This record gives sequence, C-alpha cells and structure tokens, in this order.
Amino acid sequence: MNRTPQSGRTLTLTPTREDLRIAWLTALAIAIHVAESALPSPLPGAKPGLANVVTLAVLFLYGWRAAVWVSLLRVLVGSLLLGTFLTPAFALSLSGALASLAVLGAALALSRGLARLSPGLHLGPVGMALLAALAHMGGQFLCAYAFFIPHQGLFTLLPPLMTLAAFFGFASGLVVAAMLPHLESQPPRAAAAPEVQDREGLRP
Amino acid sequence: MTRADYGVAAATLLLLVLLYTLFWSESRAGFPGDGRAEAARIATADGREFTLPLDHDQILELAGPLGTTVLEIRDGAVRFLSSPCRGKLCIHAGWLRHGGEFAACLPNRISVAVVGPRTLYDSINF
Repeated sequence: MNRTPQSGRTLTLTPTREDLRIAWLTALAIAIHVAESALPSPLPGAKPGLANVVTLAVLFLYGWRAAVWVSLLRVLVGSLLLGTFLTPAFALSLSGALASLAVLGAALALSRGLARLSPGLHLGPVGMALLAALAHMGGQFLCAYAFFIPHQGLFTLLPPLMTLAAFFGFASGLVVAAMLPHLESQPPRAAAAPEVQDREGLRP
Repeated sequence: MTRADYGVAAATLLLLVLLYTLFWSESRAGFPGDGRAEAARIATADGREFTLPLDHDQILELAGPLGTTVLEIRDGAVRFLSSPCRGKLCIHAGWLRHGGEFAACLPNRISVAVVGPRTLYDSINF
C-alpha cells in the first residue's frame, strides 16, 4: 500500500495470479539455488544446476515469459542472499541464465514449428534440459573467457565442463519429465491468489 | 523422450566428441591462435642469438668452449644430437617441440628455446 502525499488517496497494487505464481516458483528456485551453493564442487563452475528444474517446469507449464522471470529473479535474489551480487560469480550466473533462456526461447519456437509438421518432432523436457544446460555452461564459459580469464588454457576445461553440463542437463530433464504429469494433473489452486481483476491491477 | 529429444542427445554426444578432439588431443588444434611451435631461438657461446624455423629440417654445428655441439631440427622439433660435455643433460632433454620448452648445454654454453604462438609455461624460475 502506498500513500501518495499529494492526494492523500490510497494506491493499492494488486498482484495478478500470474505474479503470485511466479513469486512462488521463484521462491522455490531460490531455495534450491541457495541449498545447492552449499555443496562442494570439484571443478570451478561445475554445479548440478537443480534450480533449472524449476525453470524448465515453468517453461512447460506457463511458457517462456514466466520462465524468464523465474530464472532471472532467481539469479538476482540468489546472489543477494549468498552475497555474490555484482561479483564475478554473479556475472557468470547471469550470463549462463541469459544464454540458456535465449536458447530455450529459440528451441521452444523451433519445437512448436516442427510439431506442426509432425507431432513426434517437438522437444520434450529432456531435449530442452540438455539444450539449456549446454547453453548455460557455454554462456558462462564465454563470459569467463571474455572478462575474467582471457587465457587459452581455459579451453582445456571446456570439454569436462560441457560433459558435466550434459550429464546434469540430462538428469534434470529426466526429473522434469517425471514431475510434469503430476503438475499438469493438479487442479489450479484458487485459494492461492486473492480475487484479481486485471493484469495491471493499479486502482486509485 | 520424443524423436527430437533423441536428436538433441545425439547432437550433444557429437559436440562432446568434437570438444575433446579439439581441446584434449595432442595437436590442440582448437586453441585460438595456436599452431605448432614455429622457431628455435638458439644462443651460442660467443653471445650470438639467432632464431631458426622448425619447419625446415637441418643439422647445425655450433662451436663452444669445449668443442662442437650438433643440433638437429626435424619434423617441427629441435634436439641436441651430440655435445662434447660430460653430463649430456642437453641430449637427454630430447626433442623440444612446444613453445616454452628449453634445453641448454651449460658446459659448452649453448642453449635452445622453442618460441611459438602458444607457450607451455607462463614463466620459469631456476
């Protein structure tokens, strides 16, 4: 609630159902992100990336726009919670998220186009997760090479990092594939959001 | 998994194979700006220093305080073939191929360093 000093009238910002949904899912992604940061990592930059399971589930359930929100908010809030905001770790995280979101957007459009030709040609969770994971690692790697370690020796790390990315991408794809039937059969929870009229929701 | 998923998985495997051949093979062809080492920088006893390309096979005879040291350049690598010194450490160094590799015959005061676009070491201290 905002009280505007000039008019003395009350402005109420009402979140739409979509806002609340994104907030809930982002909270879940952030929790996973923070929990995962406690895991020790054998290689710099190698993480299971379990938070991306949430991004992918959101992509399949609510579309690309919602996935962008959840992913970028997760990177931002996760970095604030971990104290890495605006550090190299944040830059790597953000570049990875941006790259994977871009690839996911392109893959989703392509997959919809292909599905019109033949239904078996659309990408499922596993393909999407693989693409997202590889793009994430690729984006991170290019960011690291371009800004932080412009040394050719870094490329020696690329094959094992990509192998890990493919492995974890495949695994999270299987997780998403196992989750989706349960999520889709869930009746929408009307109680989660208060009555909401329109998207802007700004009422004088 | 859909057919497209299998396609993506196959493409991923191909990508990984490509990455390992590019960056983990002996030639290291994938490194930006890389090639084989290109030249040997040779310093001799009289203080002269000269650079010879490694793609041109030849046998060099260099005079030092103990006698003649013979260097061989072949197939993009350089080695000490013989030297009149006692320890023969320079000969045991074997073929020098990669940028940054270095061998010297201190008794006969001759040294060889490979210079190339990519070096194995950032710096070396003795």
